[in-house]
Amino acid sequence: MIGFLAFSVSRAWQGFWRNAAMSLAATATMTLMLLLLAGFFIVQNGLLAGLAFVEQKVEVVADLRATATEADVADVRARIAALPEVREVTFVSKEEALRRYREARTAQGEEDHTRYVDDNPLRASLEVKLRDPADFGTVMDSLRADPAVERVKNITDLVNRVITVTDFLRTAGLAILAVIGAIVLFIIINTIRLAVVGRAEEIEIMRLVGASDAFIRWPFVFEGALVGLLGAAITLATIGAFADPLGAFMFDFFRVLPIRVGAIARDVSLLVLGSGVGLGVVGAWISVRTYLIR
Amino acid sequence: MTLDAVTDRPAHEGSPERGLEPGPWDPPARRDLLVLNDVTKRYPNGREALRDVDLVIPEGDFVFLVGPSGAGKSTLMKLIIRDELATSGEVVLDGEDLARLPRRKVPRVRRKIGTVFQDYKLLPGKTVRENVAFALEVTGTPRGRIRPAVERALRHVGLTGQAEQFPRQLSGGEQQRTAIARALVHDPRLVIADEPTGNLDPLISWEIIQLLLRINELGVTVLMATHDADVVTALRKRVVALDEGRVIRDEIGGGYHRRG
Repeated sequence: MIGFLAFSVSRAWQGFWRNAAMSLAATATMTLMLLLLAGFFIVQNGLLAGLAFVEQKVEVVADLRATATEADVADVRARIAALPEVREVTFVSKEEALRRYREARTAQGEEDHTRYVDDNPLRASLEVKLRDPADFGTVMDSLRADPAVERVKNITDLVNRVITVTDFLRTAGLAILAVIGAIVLFIIINTIRLAVVGRAEEIEIMRLVGASDAFIRWPFVFEGALVGLLGAAITLATIGAFADPLGAFMFDFFRVLPIRVGAIARDVSLLVLGSGVGLGVVGAWISVRTYLIR
Repeated sequence: MTLDAVTDRPAHEGSPERGLEPGPWDPPARRDLLVLNDVTKRYPNGREALRDVDLVIPEGDFVFLVGPSGAGKSTLMKLIIRDELATSGEVVLDGEDLARLPRRKVPRVRRKIGTVFQDYKLLPGKTVRENVAFALEVTGTPRGRIRPAVERALRHVGLTGQAEQFPRQLSGGEQQRTAIARALVHDPRLVIADEPTGNLDPLISWEIIQLLLRINELGVTVLMATHDADVVTALRKRVVALDEGRVIRDEIGGGYHRRG
């Protein structure tokens, strides 16, 4: 069995180079398709990262009563932080609020009206960051229920709009990736099929001379795998070469560091290798099959 | 080649099927290598390529299969190598009913047959030696046994000198001899030749026929479809004539055309 497979591999290698023009054309097509697939996959990941970044900015802000004691504040803070929907709670003191206000006004070149007032009119507040923006309602209600809270900023409309947009973009991104995936699949399988059609006479002679189906099929399957492997290797090498400029582009475009380079590198490699070899093998298998079923 | 008058007698006189005991002068009973029993082949479009064909070819026979184009000669060949299945009737090769044969056993049966075609069907990327060896490689024969068998086959057809050449460097006759060597290399019981001299000039055609006759003398059964009327008539071998799918003549010593 091993001997047979080894023999098939060596025949596949010979077959690949004996039909070099066809094999290399198939490899070129494979490479281009895999680059397309990998490219969209990376962009998709950048998109998702960008969306997550935006969603994380959604926060519920609750103004605390001027009469709230430190104990009350600590209380509500702990309680909210304990909520499963909450990622982080930040306390902004009155002084800090005043400072921010003044900074903002100065930056905008506006007058600072608080100069005319003795007391600090601003309230202390809690800024609550959520795990999932969709949970804002629960957190808002929880905050409103607390006696120490004076007022909760109503961000319902804002959050709903954000969620609508991000959901749409996520779905669109997925849909486009699926379409690209289908295109890549179709073109690769067809390319391999073309390459096999070019060897129809060879297959015919093998059948006449009494070769078994396995004897005919396996070298072609390995040739398909070889085309896939070569295409994947070239694709990954190309992406690797452009990894740095690509990373910079992603950063500029999406304003985020596109995930950790390590994780996406692994995912892209798996995708490209898996698709290349997988489609090469499947394409060869079904193409040879059409000549064997008589 | 003698031109003795040979009486027009049906094949297998003295065979048990005809109820006659073989006498002392009859040749020893031979196995039936190929039996077609009431075979009809109808294609999906309705065309009947073969109708009610009965044919028995004992081992060692040399049979010419003649008939106009479209008579069914090639279809008959396809049935024998199980490239097609009969619509009705039985095709039995060396005792095995081809219709009952499971797919995975078909290659094994094909290896009992050597095929020779009008267009040679050689692999252009392989040398003469490699083309001949190919027939053994596909059967999984160990490399050590392939070499001597290939040399033997090449000697038989007289191509030892051209063993390293590629088909495009050979003449038509040499290419056909390569094909014949490939057909022989695995010691087949039966050699089927579908118009082997169709692309060759008369002199070379004659050489090829001689080669096939020599092979037949060694005990290999030969079935040859041909349009070459002169050769058939001159050789006075068994002639099976097809017309519109039916066997209209089956005689030993027959000519290409019906006498009289």
